[in-house]
Amino acid sequence: MAILIGYLATLGVYFCIYNIFAIGLNIQFGYAGILDFTVITFMAIGAYMAGVGSLGPAQPGTEIYYILGLSLPWPLALILGAVSAGVLGYLIGLIALRRLRSDYLAIVTLAAGSIIYGLVGNNTKIFDGYEGLVGVPQPFNGVLNLSPNTYDLVFMIFAAVIMLLLWVLANRLYKSPLGRAMRATREDLDVAEAFGKNTYRIRMMAMVIGAVFVGIGGVLTIWFITALAPAGWGTSETFVVWAALIVGGMGNNKGAVIGSFLVAVLFNEATRFLPSINGLPSLIPEIRNICIGALVILTLRFRPQGVFPERKAKFFELPLTGRGREREHEVVVTGAEE
Amino acid sequence: MHLFLLTLGFGIVTAAVLSLASVGLSLQFGVTNYVNFAYGAYLAVGMYMTYTCMTAFHLPFLIGAVIGILTAGIVAVIVDILVLERFVKRGTSGFFLLIVTFGLQLILLNLAQAIWGVGFDRYPIAQGKPLTIGPFSVTVAQLEVVGVAIIALVAVHLLLTKSRLGKAMRAMSDNKMLAQASGIDINATTLWTWFFTGCLAGLGGIALALNTVEFQVFTGNSFLFVIFAAVILGGIGKIYGAMLGALIIGLVVGLSSLVISSAYNVDVAFAVLVIVLLIRPQGIFAIAGKA
Repeated sequence: MAILIGYLATLGVYFCIYNIFAIGLNIQFGYAGILDFTVITFMAIGAYMAGVGSLGPAQPGTEIYYILGLSLPWPLALILGAVSAGVLGYLIGLIALRRLRSDYLAIVTLAAGSIIYGLVGNNTKIFDGYEGLVGVPQPFNGVLNLSPNTYDLVFMIFAAVIMLLLWVLANRLYKSPLGRAMRATREDLDVAEAFGKNTYRIRMMAMVIGAVFVGIGGVLTIWFITALAPAGWGTSETFVVWAALIVGGMGNNKGAVIGSFLVAVLFNEATRFLPSINGLPSLIPEIRNICIGALVILTLRFRPQGVFPERKAKFFELPLTGRGREREHEVVVTGAEE
Repeated sequence: MHLFLLTLGFGIVTAAVLSLASVGLSLQFGVTNYVNFAYGAYLAVGMYMTYTCMTAFHLPFLIGAVIGILTAGIVAVIVDILVLERFVKRGTSGFFLLIVTFGLQLILLNLAQAIWGVGFDRYPIAQGKPLTIGPFSVTVAQLEVVGVAIIALVAVHLLLTKSRLGKAMRAMSDNKMLAQASGIDINATTLWTWFFTGCLAGLGGIALALNTVEFQVFTGNSFLFVIFAAVILGGIGKIYGAMLGALIIGLVVGLSSLVISSAYNVDVAFAVLVIVLLIRPQGIFAIAGKA
């Protein structure tokens, strides 16, 4: 029984984490139309920085090297991780968000991700190379002294609280003037510019905010697993987040939630526990990657708006009176999908 | 000075490998007008079909290479018919086509890895001693790579300038609607483009495998950013630009190993790419506004 609860709690944590990733990507792609093909790099930087923030200094003689090692309390480590991810988002944005065509942008993000992957992997002095960080202290664990299964449950609640906070923030952002400006740049950069919007700044805000969200998800990841190595954040992991967003429906956070449940939990995590076939240890992950790729292509082919389509903005949709229900037939002003 | 010339020789070999792959990518981009992120998988198909022909069927290298190249071309055509063409016909915007090719990359590479395994392989041919020609020191295989690259590039040039098909491709690259209105069969031209792209990718993959000696399924894909750097440097969709871009990137990457470890080859290419994007995002050869 305890094992079952622990297992469900693990899936719950993964759901919350992937949900945070999907909301972060939704801010970048769904709100502002930035093709960020290196989502998982922001997760990794957030995770690593929080990891080296909360770990003690690297011990000489153990063959494990990493920078910093500050032994910070968890809230500070969380902030360190989130800020680092945001800074990385800003740096990539500096190159990628100049007025480039969308395919250049995608190439730059993808290339930047693979460069960082190589740098982190080949330099053992930064985050211990391909070995990765291990034994990252978990928040509250030293204080509460719980059994692993109960701790997973506590952590799930902790992750859910953070997820809810970010969800509320993302929804506020969606409705805010900045969020509207983001969607305007997504629909048509030139029109938004003609209306006097600084599209570069708006897109940069989306890039950085999204990166911070994903970074926070990364911090939760390393706290939960207590370890992270480059093998855990390859390109295919980026695609899981994309799959979650596209299957769920981009542009709205409800879609992101459904998508991360369907793809990240049911599809991705549940199959992780399938027994591997003798002699072919990599076959299961290969099949999973093929299926996730196929799922995205089929979704884009047959239901490009996703399970939960973005609601189209309507004219006169102001909360002036309580007669919301009578406004069903009003003119649709902007088409969301193109 | 001697070391410089020696490295220059390796740079030229890299440039030769790179030019094959870049011209393929640029040709396809010019005609279809979207980037194909699954391109690295076509390199892997060429590389590994040759390997399978040599190890499983004991065919000589040349026949194996021809089969490998043709298979890569056919795979490219099949993928286009089964997946990409359906999105293009429906008028899917560039955004989503990029995501589709990104998904294809995941599918094709994992499929290739499921077929050919994770480990490193090498062609069962004798490496031979490095020859010393003047200041350069190269293996026979590397010399062959340079020779084949020159022949292939001349062939592409003749295809584009002399044949009807090549002219149709260039017309489509300039203006698809106008090409269609002038009676060019754009469907057939697109399919032929994918075939030649796949063939060039397969050839590039084999050349890459000969150059690195040991290879695995993801070797081509990690080379992809070097290819992108060359293609963007030359102006995306510009075939002669891609040749020049490949030469520059190949030499820069080769010569950079004088200063820093060759483990950072991809990073050097990326640095060049960033500089190009910041200074002249339309590439060296592109006409302003078209890029």
